Amino acid sequence: CILHCFLSLLVFGRAIHAIARISDEFSFDPIEKGLALRSVNSSRSAYAYVFFSSMFFQHYCWTAVSQPCQKEKQLSLPCKLIIKSVLPVFRCVNVLERNVEKCSIYTNINDHHVTFQLLCKYGVVKTYNLTCQECDPLQAVFAKHMCPNILKVHSRLLADIMIHFPTSQEEVTLSVTPMKVCFKSYTEEDTDFSKTMLTEIQLNPDEFDYFQVGVDSEVTFCLKELRGLLAFSEATSVPVSIHFDISGKPIAFSIEDMVLEASFILATLSDVEKETASQQPPDFSQRQERKPPWDGSAPNSKPAKPVSLLAKQEIKSIPRVMMREVTGMEGTAMTEAEGHAMLGGEAREHCKDFKVAKASEIINLQILHHVVSYFYKHCIFQFHSLFFGAVSCKEQDAISHTFHSLATASDTEEDFGNMQSSQV
Amino acid sequence: MRFRAKIVDLACLNHFSRVINTIAKLAKTCALRLTVSKLYFILSDKVANGGVSMWCELCQGNFFDEFQMEGVAAEHNEIYLELVPENLSRALKTAQNAKAVKIKLTNKHCPCLRVAVELPSLSSSSRMVTHDIPVGVIPRRLWNDFREPSVPDFDVSIYLPVLKTMKSVLERMKNLSNSIVIEANSSGEMNLKIETDLVSVTTHFKDLGNPPWASEDGCQSSAQSRDLESMAEARIDIKKLLQLLAGQQVNPTKALCNIVSKRIVHFILLHEDVSLQYFIPALA
Repeated sequence: CILHCFLSLLVFGRAIHAIARISDEFSFDPIEKGLALRSVNSSRSAYAYVFFSSMFFQHYCWTAVSQPCQKEKQLSLPCKLIIKSVLPVFRCVNVLERNVEKCSIYTNINDHHVTFQLLCKYGVVKTYNLTCQECDPLQAVFAKHMCPNILKVHSRLLADIMIHFPTSQEEVTLSVTPMKVCFKSYTEEDTDFSKTMLTEIQLNPDEFDYFQVGVDSEVTFCLKELRGLLAFSEATSVPVSIHFDISGKPIAFSIEDMVLEASFILATLSDVEKETASQQPPDFSQRQERKPPWDGSAPNSKPAKPVSLLAKQEIKSIPRVMMREVTGMEGTAMTEAEGHAMLGGEAREHCKDFKVAKASEIINLQILHHVVSYFYKHCIFQFHSLFFGAVSCKEQDAISHTFHSLATASDTEEDFGNMQSSQV
Repeated sequence: MRFRAKIVDLACLNHFSRVINTIAKLAKTCALRLTVSKLYFILSDKVANGGVSMWCELCQGNFFDEFQMEGVAAEHNEIYLELVPENLSRALKTAQNAKAVKIKLTNKHCPCLRVAVELPSLSSSSRMVTHDIPVGVIPRRLWNDFREPSVPDFDVSIYLPVLKTMKSVLERMKNLSNSIVIEANSSGEMNLKIETDLVSVTTHFKDLGNPPWASEDGCQSSAQSRDLESMAEARIDIKKLLQLLAGQQVNPTKALCNIVSKRIVHFILLHEDVSLQYFIPALA
């Protein structure tokens, strides 16, 4: 039984709301040092990680529970919670702090319960008993320090920038050169300009607390998923760091201070044709040719088609990558997986927008290309086929080639049929 | 065809934003007519609008510090554009503390109104926010659709009650019925009536006053010779009337309506530098 109490309800509530924008469920993982919350969206294009150290809480008590069947002592026992059940606890986060005197969280892993208890004014006690499921959450591996472009800015500034975009704006392009920074509405070749209002914000590098641009780049990411983090970081008043590279590589928005840290890693649209070119600064004056990873010219080019293929696939469990530090390939060996996958096959049900579906492929590869190498070691080929459709399981090429495979993979039934037969 | 304008004064900018917000609430798309001295937002009475039409006129000098336009041709020195006012409203919404706002007609991928907002920033150079609002250029042959409507030969002309009061009355009435009867007489009395199978509700307003219309020609004398007590009435869609009132962010200097019995109600809302006319046809 683990007991936690809150230091700042507003911050915690905003964190939950931020995670809510990523996915319908998240993993709740209390460890000795603190509480980790993680979430991945179903199309793998967004990953959220929020860690509250034990010092964030007024009182933090954690007991290790060891399971006899594990080879090593389980240092944590994460469980999966549905966002919809947790959000009501933190509804009206802004007034929460005024009315709530104390909030406690208890977890009972054996019972599969997480309890939130709010002690409110006038002796009112609200208790929320939530069922949770065991899970093996996916951790994104992202070498932030290897990113050539780093911007650091107060969250107020980011919010002031994003407010110019309509709330319905899905994707935003961030374009940087050493001389200027520009956020603009995402457009592509077939954008109907006569119907779309476009917004562009130009900033001087001076406005940033820290500004490093190693590579001129233009990255496009999903703004909707970010808005939650912006509200969260405003509550914490911790500056936001943005780490990114060229298009196609993920972009990370993170905040860190003594008692908490958070990272939101979002996929960016890849400029597939330029992938093979050496890292030259892309020429912004010409329209970039963007070929969707899925074959856009197929007669039925709606994303619905690939979705159903993925959905039909058997969902294999995704082994947990136990990487405590985000330092690339290092980390302890994986445990053999059991149980259910956290990530469902409803892949793109709520990524109705085709553009977002295109973005989705990229983070898969980023998260998984480190993970995939482990899989090769363990020969879990069916995992490979789950995400790459028709990619041959015999291919053990370098990662850059998997980009190509993805770009040319066809979604026809025949390929799918081949994959099925070759599954272990 | 060229158009370029600039607002530097914050008060003017806020005022202009409020006008745009009002227009945005009244029409999804409308025509913007630019002349050397004025701007007009026009909604012509198409069936798609439910027969409603709107004419809003602003003097550019009251809002813009710079205003240059060149029409389609020398003898037709005007520009007619079709746009979604909501877009313009949105572009101006976040320009509350701008140093300057420039509006320009451009044609990059398609004709656009480019709204460039220069915002103050912590650094030496300002932050520039640009919004490209797509517009359609209305060809000269269609300009006749957007002529200024004439004041109808009304039966009664009366000042409206305090708009806020009228709005709250209508808000409650709209839950009971889709249509409302406006009736008024030349003695300053107005009734708003709804009638359903179960209930009928009437709100009475008194001492509203009737605006004096100079009798320019014989037509107006019919209104004068009319019995002061007799009511002229029209049944109109309640939602359309609410749209008009809900969009008013500032109390107008003058608000009146002209009722043509069983035909149309003509609303006129006058502010210092903006006049808005709104026509709601009577329901069958």
